Amino acid sequence: MTYNEGAVFKWVLIFGVAVGSAIALTLLTSSLVGALWGLVLAIAGSVYGIRWARDWWQNARDRPGGPDHDA
Amino acid sequence: MESASVPLPHGSGGHTAEASHHHGPPEANQSSRIDKQTLGILLFIVSEVMLFGAFFASYFFLRVVVNPVEWPPQPFELPVAVAGMNTAILVSSSFTVHYALEAVRKGNRQGMKLGLALTWMLGLTFLFIQINEYVHLGFSARTESFGTIFYCLTGLHGAHVFVGLMLLTFATIRAFRGHFGEKAEDHFGVEVPGIYWHFVDIMWIIVFFTVYIL
Repeated sequence: MTYNEGAVFKWVLIFGVAVGSAIALTLLTSSLVGALWGLVLAIAGSVYGIRWARDWWQNARDRPGGPDHDA
Repeated sequence: MESASVPLPHGSGGHTAEASHHHGPPEANQSSRIDKQTLGILLFIVSEVMLFGAFFASYFFLRVVVNPVEWPPQPFELPVAVAGMNTAILVSSSFTVHYALEAVRKGNRQGMKLGLALTWMLGLTFLFIQINEYVHLGFSARTESFGTIFYCLTGLHGAHVFVGLMLLTFATIRAFRGHFGEKAEDHFGVEVPGIYWHFVDIMWIIVFFTVYIL
């Protein structure tokens, strides 16, 4: 994974679309529906984050027991 | 003042000349996967997300658990259209700072300067509109819990915008002085403020949705 401004900008676009959809849903229906959709998005984001962190750690070469770990 | 030279281990004759010139603590560990400048700003952003999280928790506690009869309380209204325009301004500024970084990566210094200057002006416009909104809102931070949490959340974000503007000021001045180059290690002074600015933008989108729309 690359860690630079371009990667962060990608997340600006993702957040923009996600929250934009929640804003649109709220304006078209009600605050409750928008809040529930926002909660769904937050949970989906959290699940993605947890899985990413777990994969990152499992693939980290310098984790304890990994090939690059200095004891 | 005593020099902080590193004591040489026994049998390190081959490095004696180099080590004898070293002063100060040893170099910090450099990860092979991420450079320290980017890691530093990302860790800082994580800590700021925690701070915003605390304020959002307070907002939702007041709105959902305390559950006042009306939110916002009568007769106050929030200027959603003005805040929406401010959101468009801040989102545009993320595009301009991204343009500045893409330009410097391709060696286009004029594009970098233009992008940074535009981002700075858009950020300043956002702050100016926010302050003007505060003047005309009609309620203060002491007006019930609503006023307090409104000013706390938006004010906290405004403070972050101000800090971002300071970073962009340094970056823009340095850009016009010709300090930055194409390689990643030659334009961290633009990359790091750019990453911070994107965080400020994302946070505003969430604040706008929570405070003005919901």
